[in-house]
Amino acid sequence: MSSGQKKRNFQIEAFKHKVVVDPKYAEKTWKVLEHAIHEIYNHNASGLSFEELYRNAYNMVLHKYGEKLYSGLVSTMTFHLQTMSKSIEAAHGGSFLEELNSKWSDHNKALQMIRDILMYMDRTFIPSTRKTPVHELGLNLWRDNVVHSDKIQTRLLNTILELILRERTGEVINRGLMRNIIKMLMDLGASVYQEDFEKPFLDVSADFYRVESQEFIECSDCGDYLKKAERRLNEEIERVSHYLDVKSEAKITNVVEKEMIANHMLGLVHMENSGLVKMLLDDKFEDLGRMYNLFRRVPNGLSTIRDVMTSHIRDTGKQLVTDPEKSKNPVEFVECLLEKRDKYDKIISLAFGNDKTFQNALNSSFEYFINLNPRSPEYISLFVDDKLRKGLKGVKEEDIELILDKVMMLFRYLQEKDVFEKYYKQHLAKRLLSGKTVSDDAERSLIVKLKTECGYQFTSKLEGMFTDMKTSQDTMQGFYATYGAELANGPTLVVQVLTTGSWPTQSSVTCNLPSEMLALCEKFRSYYLGTHTGRRLSWQTNMGTADLRATFGNGQKYELNVSTYQMCVLMLFNGADSLSYREIEQATEIPSSDLKRCLQSLACVKGKNVLRKEPMSKDIVEDDGFSVNDKFTSKLRKVKIGTVVAQKESEPEKQETRQRVEEDRKPQIEAAIVRIMKSRRVLDHNNIIAEVTKQLQSRFLANPGEIKKRIESLIERDFLERDNADRRLYRYLA
Amino acid sequence: MPRTSSKKGSANSTSSGTSSTVDLFRAASGKAASKELERIDQLFYNYANSSSRIIDPEGIESLCSDLELDHTDVRILMLAWKMQAEKQGYFTLDEWRTGFKALRADTMVKVKKALVDLEKEVRRSSNFIDFYSYAFRYCLTEEKQKSIDIESICLLLDLVLGSQFHPQVDALNQYLKIQIDYKVINMDQWMGFYRFCNEISFPDFSNYDPDHAWPLILDNFVDWIRSK
Repeated sequence: MSSGQKKRNFQIEAFKHKVVVDPKYAEKTWKVLEHAIHEIYNHNASGLSFEELYRNAYNMVLHKYGEKLYSGLVSTMTFHLQTMSKSIEAAHGGSFLEELNSKWSDHNKALQMIRDILMYMDRTFIPSTRKTPVHELGLNLWRDNVVHSDKIQTRLLNTILELILRERTGEVINRGLMRNIIKMLMDLGASVYQEDFEKPFLDVSADFYRVESQEFIECSDCGDYLKKAERRLNEEIERVSHYLDVKSEAKITNVVEKEMIANHMLGLVHMENSGLVKMLLDDKFEDLGRMYNLFRRVPNGLSTIRDVMTSHIRDTGKQLVTDPEKSKNPVEFVECLLEKRDKYDKIISLAFGNDKTFQNALNSSFEYFINLNPRSPEYISLFVDDKLRKGLKGVKEEDIELILDKVMMLFRYLQEKDVFEKYYKQHLAKRLLSGKTVSDDAERSLIVKLKTECGYQFTSKLEGMFTDMKTSQDTMQGFYATYGAELANGPTLVVQVLTTGSWPTQSSVTCNLPSEMLALCEKFRSYYLGTHTGRRLSWQTNMGTADLRATFGNGQKYELNVSTYQMCVLMLFNGADSLSYREIEQATEIPSSDLKRCLQSLACVKGKNVLRKEPMSKDIVEDDGFSVNDKFTSKLRKVKIGTVVAQKESEPEKQETRQRVEEDRKPQIEAAIVRIMKSRRVLDHNNIIAEVTKQLQSRFLANPGEIKKRIESLIERDFLERDNADRRLYRYLA
Repeated sequence: MPRTSSKKGSANSTSSGTSSTVDLFRAASGKAASKELERIDQLFYNYANSSSRIIDPEGIESLCSDLELDHTDVRILMLAWKMQAEKQGYFTLDEWRTGFKALRADTMVKVKKALVDLEKEVRRSSNFIDFYSYAFRYCLTEEKQKSIDIESICLLLDLVLGSQFHPQVDALNQYLKIQIDYKVINMDQWMGFYRFCNEISFPDFSNYDPDHAWPLILDNFVDWIRSK
């Protein structure tokens, strides 16, 4: 049956109901929206239905009338903005900015609402057709129709700049309004802010500060100028924080820095009677600090200050060390150096923020001028000598350390440290032997400092000197414990046994001692050699002292403190009333230069003239005669004659020390050369000079000529040879 | 020489043992050599001191006069160099033999001729430096002596370098005589002088570089000339 059945196919057709769209639909809907926009701009939005408007706009987009909606928006908004523009243009004078501001805020509010209504278009139609979103569109239209309109653009700029100028000259302006206007420009995009405001602003500012700085520099001194510049800089920073874009801060400060500082840097630094040098001279910490802080903002600013300071320190330092007046008193000389160093230390810490580069400049300047005077090492040692002899009495321990540290600082500047060491050793020896050293602690503290600075080598000998002093004390106690009773009635002998090599002793002729002393000395010699076999003793009569009791013609008794030489001379007068120079020389065998000096202090110094010289004159000649000055009187019972105070060396002594130093340097240079060559085997001339100089730097500045001489000497002694092919090379011969 | 070779040929033809042939050859050439040696020795004894059996200054004097040379002539120094004579003013028999064998001279006539070639040989740069340093050593007469006094150095410089570098040697000698830093000159400085004359343009010193490790005395010399 199934075959008879007719197959029926169901077909479901689409509902063919033609949607008839009102042909005027788009037009109508747009009219509604257009009307709404007009109402919004006319501050009449309260009667509008947001929901309805949104739906209308939604439908337009849905029904593919997006394009119409968009172009309608553009033209409507443009219309309103042009109206606004007209009213802004019409505003007079001061109300111009206010009108602009109020219209801007109106537009912003309107834009906000319009965007809400057209939200759907903003989300779908605009991205798919790549059109400008509503908000941005609003800003662009504002820019093109208002801000960039012919009659507004330049007027706006001029008004803003005018107001800033007025503020700069001290007037109070409406900063809130300014902030809004500038904010508007920023909202319109970075390029608008920069092109329409920032660039011309910077140009105008540059002109302003160029003129102003020129006026300032003509009528104020350096310190005042810097104050003004600093104030201007702070004002600009403040202005930015109040109503400009933060990014403008660097740009405007740059302008001020360039116009007010960089362009006048040299003029300021070298300004007569108030420039950097004057500030340094007068310790104007505040001005210096201001200069430092301002100049550090500009390229080469700090180096300008540093260079001027450096050359000033060098010049004044050079004057100081080459001033023959200052050289007369070594202690004062060093005090001046320390004062100078303290002064600049203070300036750098108070005004220049402890800047490392300034400290380095200070150090190198000191190093430069201290070494200009070849006697600096001697003077520094004399200064220490003075301090350790008497200068430190009653000074607290910390202060002693402070002074010693300062001395070490000067020591570090010396290129010829070995010369200092020579003198220091001499002076220390004199201090120890004459018992004049004030504080053992201070002495040792300085030796520790020298040890850290120069190493064990140098100080071991100095320490040896201290040990000798201590041992000698023990020896003398032993001597008197053994012979005390026997010697009770004779003179007292104090011997200091010095190890050869540790002390800067010169081999000298022993003078003839008075017989009573000679016997005592012999006794000591046999005692000493009895306890220490295999040693040799020789008497350094040029270094000793003696206390004598003398009775003069009028019965007056005095205790005379004299040198050993002087004692020998005076003792002769126990057996004779008058003696000639030649007789004295013959009897004592004191070297003539020493004898002359010793007689001079006995006969020619007022108040201490225990001898009378014939004829009376200042200098000792070989025909002079001497007798005891019976009329000698003194207020003090103890009379100190011819002290052995370390004094500035005389010219020949200086030459001799110099020569000894040079001699001592030779083996040091040679050792350095051999050390270097031993490790390098082959080295060229320039490098060897450089390395030797470097190795010896901490001791002294080796002279290249001298190094060359030492190399040649080593070649002669077959330590080195020249390379056959490359003549610049030396080879080490092991 | 052909005589020797014919002998050698005849020895071959006699077909005697090879070894004896060689011996014969050796003996023959040895004979010729020993003859030459004999004549060289003869020449030596003409000048040697009869008791010490070496040529002493007196012998050298008469050698010079036979060669018609002054005893300070550079060629005598060259002869000494050829002999590698150790002690100034003396020639031993061994030294004499070394020198004259090398010169192939066994008569005075040959010696005179050989001197011409010897001078050429010395002037060759490879030999000259050896000769130059020999000249210095030859003047060291004392045991362990390492340097020579300025006056002798001036004479020696003039002798060995004077003909080649006349203006330099003149100036250098003048300087050496007026300076006071050095009383003697050592080998290093001596070798420096030759190098200096050889390498440095004179008198402008345009290629003199004090960094090239010249002995200090030459630095001073250049300073001295420049300050003039």
